[in-house]
Formats: sequence, C-alpha cells, structure tokens
Amino acid sequence: MPLTSARSNPGLPVWHYDGVSGIRQQRLLRIEGDDFRLVSPDGAGETYSFADLIARDAQDGGAVFALKKRPGWRIGFAGDVPKEVADHLPRVRRYGGLIDRVGLWRSSFIFALLAAGAITLFLRTPAAVARAVPPSMERKLGDLMVGDFGHRACAGPGGPEALSAMLHRIDPKATDLDIRVVNLPIVNAVTLPGGKIVIFDRLLQEARTPEEIAGVLAHEIGHVRHHDVMESLLRQLGLSVLLGGLDGKVGGYTNTLLAATYSRDAEARADGYALDALNQAGVSPEPMAQFFRRLSGGEMKGEGAARIMTYFSTHPMSADRAARFDRAARGHGGYRPVLDPEAWARLRAICSSDPEAEKPGLRF
Amino acid sequence: MDLTLAPGCAPFSATGGIFMASGSGRRGAFEFTGGWRDFAPIAFSNLLLSVVTLGIYVFWARTRERQYLWSRTRFIDDRLEWTGTGFELFLGYVFAFFLFIIPFALLNLLLQGILMRGHPGAAAVLGLFLYLLLMYLTGVAIFRALRYRLSRTFWHGIRGGADSQGLAFGWSYLWRTVTGSLVLGLLIPWSMTSLWNERWDAMSFGPHRFDSNASSDRIFLKFLLFYLVPVIVFIGGVVAAALVAGFASAASAGDPIDPRAMGVILPVIMLLIYGFALGLIAMIYYAAYFREVVGNLSLGGLEFEFDAQTWDWIRLYLGNIGLTIVTLGIGRIFVGYRNWTFFIRHMKAYGELNLDDFTQSTTRLPGQGEGLLDAFDIGAF
Repeated sequence: MPLTSARSNPGLPVWHYDGVSGIRQQRLLRIEGDDFRLVSPDGAGETYSFADLIARDAQDGGAVFALKKRPGWRIGFAGDVPKEVADHLPRVRRYGGLIDRVGLWRSSFIFALLAAGAITLFLRTPAAVARAVPPSMERKLGDLMVGDFGHRACAGPGGPEALSAMLHRIDPKATDLDIRVVNLPIVNAVTLPGGKIVIFDRLLQEARTPEEIAGVLAHEIGHVRHHDVMESLLRQLGLSVLLGGLDGKVGGYTNTLLAATYSRDAEARADGYALDALNQAGVSPEPMAQFFRRLSGGEMKGEGAARIMTYFSTHPMSADRAARFDRAARGHGGYRPVLDPEAWARLRAICSSDPEAEKPGLRF
Repeated sequence: MDLTLAPGCAPFSATGGIFMASGSGRRGAFEFTGGWRDFAPIAFSNLLLSVVTLGIYVFWARTRERQYLWSRTRFIDDRLEWTGTGFELFLGYVFAFFLFIIPFALLNLLLQGILMRGHPGAAAVLGLFLYLLLMYLTGVAIFRALRYRLSRTFWHGIRGGADSQGLAFGWSYLWRTVTGSLVLGLLIPWSMTSLWNERWDAMSFGPHRFDSNASSDRIFLKFLLFYLVPVIVFIGGVVAAALVAGFASAASAGDPIDPRAMGVILPVIMLLIYGFALGLIAMIYYAAYFREVVGNLSLGGLEFEFDAQTWDWIRLYLGNIGLTIVTLGIGRIFVGYRNWTFFIRHMKAYGELNLDDFTQSTTRLPGQGEGLLDAFDIGAF
C-alpha cells in the first residue's frame, strides 16, 4: 500500500493534537521523502520532518509521537504501523538513551563496576587531598569550628606549663600544636583541624597517672600527624555528594558504615604512632593499657559509666588495644615518669584552680 | 467540542460539543487502567539501576514510574501524559545541592563555631535565622514542585503550570506556619487550608485557573480531637493499670505484683495508646482535610471531589508499611504505585469542559525539576 502517492492513496489515518487547542483531530499522514505531511479532511496540510519526531509511550497498543520544540504536539496511530512508515519513526526510549543502546544487563554490570571504582576512589582520595591541604587553611578551618573556646579553656597556675612539659617529652619538635584543657565533664580527648587537640577536664580527673594522659595525648598527636581529621571531613563531604542521590536512609546507613570502617583503621594507626612516640620518649605505655582496661572493665560504674561511653563512641575499645600497649611495654626498660608529682597535681587542677574558667555544663 | 461531567448523563459521549463527566455513571471521570504486574518490571529494573549507579538513576527511575502511572490514568476521554525527564530532575537536584545544601552546611559549621566561642546570643540569632530561612525555602519548594508537576502533565496535548515562581508563596508559608503554631496550634487547620488555597489559586491548566475555596471551619472539630490525646492516654493508662493489677492478682493470688514490673509495663502500654490514638486522630483529620481541600477545588467548569474515608487512608498506610516490612524493604518500590492508584481511585470530577476554548497554557515552563523539594525530602501535595 504505497503511502507516498497522494493520488493512489490518501495516506495513513492518525489522531493528532496540535499542542495549541485541546481538540483531537483526525489527519492523514503522507510520506514525502524524509518528511511527512499531515493532511486535514479539508485537504489543507502541514509538512514536518521525521527527524523531529520523539517516540512516546504507546497508548492502547498504538504508537505515539511528539515533535521537537512543540509542547503538546502529538500524533498517534491506531494499531500497527505499516513498515514503510515505521522505518522512518524513532524508537521508544525505555530506560534512558544510554542504557537502551547498551542493554539493561550489560549497562547494569558496567555501572556496578563504575560504582565500585567510584567508591574506592572516593575512599582513597581524601587521604591524599588531606595531605595536600596547606596547614594555614587547616588552621583557619579549625578556628572557624571552635576558635579559642572562649572562657572554657582552663589555665590554672602551672597547668599549661605542665601540659607543655608533657608535650615536649612526647614530641620535642612539636611547635604546630595547640593543646587545651576544656572544662567539660566528658571523658575524652578530640583532635580538630589545624593541630588543635582538646582534652576534656573529666579525663584528667579519671586518669590515675600522668602516663595515661601522655598516652591519650600521643594518640591524638598521631591523628594530627596522619591528617585524620581533614581526611574524615573530606570523606564525609565526598560520601554525602556520592550517596546524595540515594534515598535518605540507604545513603545514611552506607555512609555511617563506611565512615566507621575507616575510623577504626585511623584509630589503630594513631595507636601505633602513640606507641612509637611513648617508647622513644621513654614513657611507659603500660598505664595506657591499664587505663583502657579500667574504662572497659567493671571498675567504673554508675554515674561515671555513662560518661565513659563517650570515649567508646569515638574510640572503639577492644581487648586488643590494651594488649597492644601491654606488648609494647615488654622488653623495654628505663622508663622515666612523664611528669613529677607536683606538675601532675597542677595539671589535674588546671580547671579547678582557674577562677576564669567557665563552670562545666553546656549553655545554649 | 465540549466535555460535560454531570451525574446521570451518558458518560463521556464526545459527540456534539460537550464532554461530560459523571460520578454516578458506569465509569468515573478518573480511572486507573494499569496493573501491578505491568508495573513490576519497571519497578524492579529501576531498583537495579538505582543500586548500581549509587542512586544517580533515581531521577530517571522516578520519571519512568510517573510515565507509567500517568499513561495508565484516564481522565474523562483521554489519558494523562507525563513529559518530565530524568535529566531535568537530576539537574534540579544538582542546583539545589550547590545553592542550598552546601551553604547550609557551612552556616551550620559557623553556628557551631560561634557557640563554642561562647556567644550563645549570636548563635541563637543565627540559628533562628537559619530555621526561618529553611521554612521559607520549604514553602518555595512545595510551590515549585506542584508547578513543575502540573507543567509536565499533559492531557489532550494541553499542560498546566503557574505564572508565579513561588517566592511570594514562600513568605506566606513562613508566616502562616508560624502563626498556625501559636495559640496551642489552634490555627493549624486555618494555616493548612489557606496555604492550599493560595498555591492552587496560583495554578492553572490550559486556559483555566484553578479555584480553591477550602475552609478550615468544616474540619476544625476533627482537628480538636488532637487535644483529646492526653485525656485518652490518661484514661487508657488508668484502665491498663487496673487490668494489669487485676490479672496479676488473679494469676497468683498469694504473690503481690512486683511494683518494678508495673513500672516497665505501664509506660509501654501508655506509649502504645499514645501512638495509636495520635495515629488514628491524624488519619481522621487528614482524611477530612483532603476531602475538604479537593472537594472545594474547581477548574473551569469542572468540580473535583475526593471520597476517601479515614478507614481508606488507614488501609493505605498499613498496607504500605506491611508491604515494606514483609518484603524486607524491597516492597517500597511499589509504594508510589499504591499511593497513585489510591489517589486516582478516590478522585471524582463533575461538570463541563468546553474543548473549543481549552487551549494551550501560556505559563512559563520551569526549566528544571523538584530539586529543592528533593533536597528537603518532602512531598508535593
């Protein structure tokens, strides 16, 4: 049935919306080379190019086509389209242009490979980028986040001196660190961007020997030296971009899971750094092992237990960790106290003896 | 040509000039003609592609889902058509991410810094500002999502839309929501209905504007049920305590009930009663609200109606939750399908539509999708 000749055949009937009026019109479609003509019952007609057609979902088994740059313009066929017309028509998009071309299973496989690659890249890159961030920028970020803690930082008589004496023992060359004791009832210490280390007062109170604090401090210095804080900030940022498209919860879980895996590794590396630093400084790592046992064991119960949980939440505890510090102590000798009793007493009293220091408790 | 939708008329005889829609005819004005078996291949391939693309495909997935749902929805004599694209949704999300999410994250960081430096006053001011800004943007997002959806919905080759960009609606949303929460929340029904009216009055389809005249008066009594929750919980608690004590003494006559066990059981029972009462009242109120707002919406000569009762909404929600739990979460891919079919099943329309003057919308086409809405994770209706 030739549709090209107007004389022998009137054309293929189609329904038509012109995108201007809502009335469904009947037209006859005639092929004119690469173009086609829609002829109305009164014989008038308009010519369009097949190349401008866009396939839409079929309706009632009949193919439907839209026209580029003409919103609402549609033609639809009733039933099967003869081959000579069908050859000119574009194919329906199913999953999206790219996936249709490659095929669902093959493209799923390729996407899965790409996704695995992207995740690996995103997890590896932060470490490299974190090292490349200039110290001045990191310091500015740290300032933006916490500043100088206002009145919360403690400076009781002799306290800061004892602290810097301890730091000097562990890391004699450290000039880029900013260590403060903050008057908050939290058994923990944190590292912030820009070499800022914060020890919370309650940690000093729970410690029995200055070596325990030295161990914690060395661990936090390990985080600074490994750029762990910048790395985890960057990773969080990267993951939230990467997983942003996922449904809220799925993305969140994946994010937490990946972050937790990486923070465990970072903790182990910081422990390694701390052990080396302590041994080189002639400070015994054994009290640190006891400190871990005390935190995880049953010695502190009741009110203290809840506070200690804050340490676990950021420093996952395990018997392995204590054992590692124990092992490191073996075979070494000649350990010297990290602070004399007087300096230790001053350090512990750094907040209580500072009238300027703000009372513990969070204000809002 | 006219389309009339009138009770009792022969439905949708498109002979003559007028289209007619009838609620009492054999077929309603709205009809969903698809089935979940047809939809399943779409849902599962969407899930697969979303997983392997780390979620990026969700924008295309959503588009495919809508294309299916719209195309299987008949209104009077013709199907709806969804013409949105996955790419524009993706673009909208990227825009929203850089324009809003990142600045918000930075401001949040700044807020923490100010708090840690010991300026609680300044932090509170900045915090309040952020909160109000977020509320404003939420309003804008709701408006723009509705506008986007109407502009991508075609029927008879004609689309909807709005001339307003929704910035003014953002302010309305802000002050009406704040006002609504005053006086024990008594103005919440007013704020909800007036906001619905305002945004639908700004919307149009083809040459006709929507006209919305919902009133909070007719749903206010049902809203007052919320204030009964504490009373219900109290009475329920007393009854439960009496029952527990009674059972315990009956079961072991010699053994007095352990007061510590009571201390555990009672709060749990009270919590269950609280959740149940609150959920039920929320359903009662929301069902009434939706009947009110849709029932007072008209477009040209068409009047709309929504006939879902409280029980229908409860079944929808319990069904969605059950489906998700039983399938360990995979059933969630059918939740959108269930919601849409529920919506279409209960939508009715009456009146006339003259096709002779049903011409193309002159509203500006929004360039991209529902990014802001995605960013804040809220629904459009």
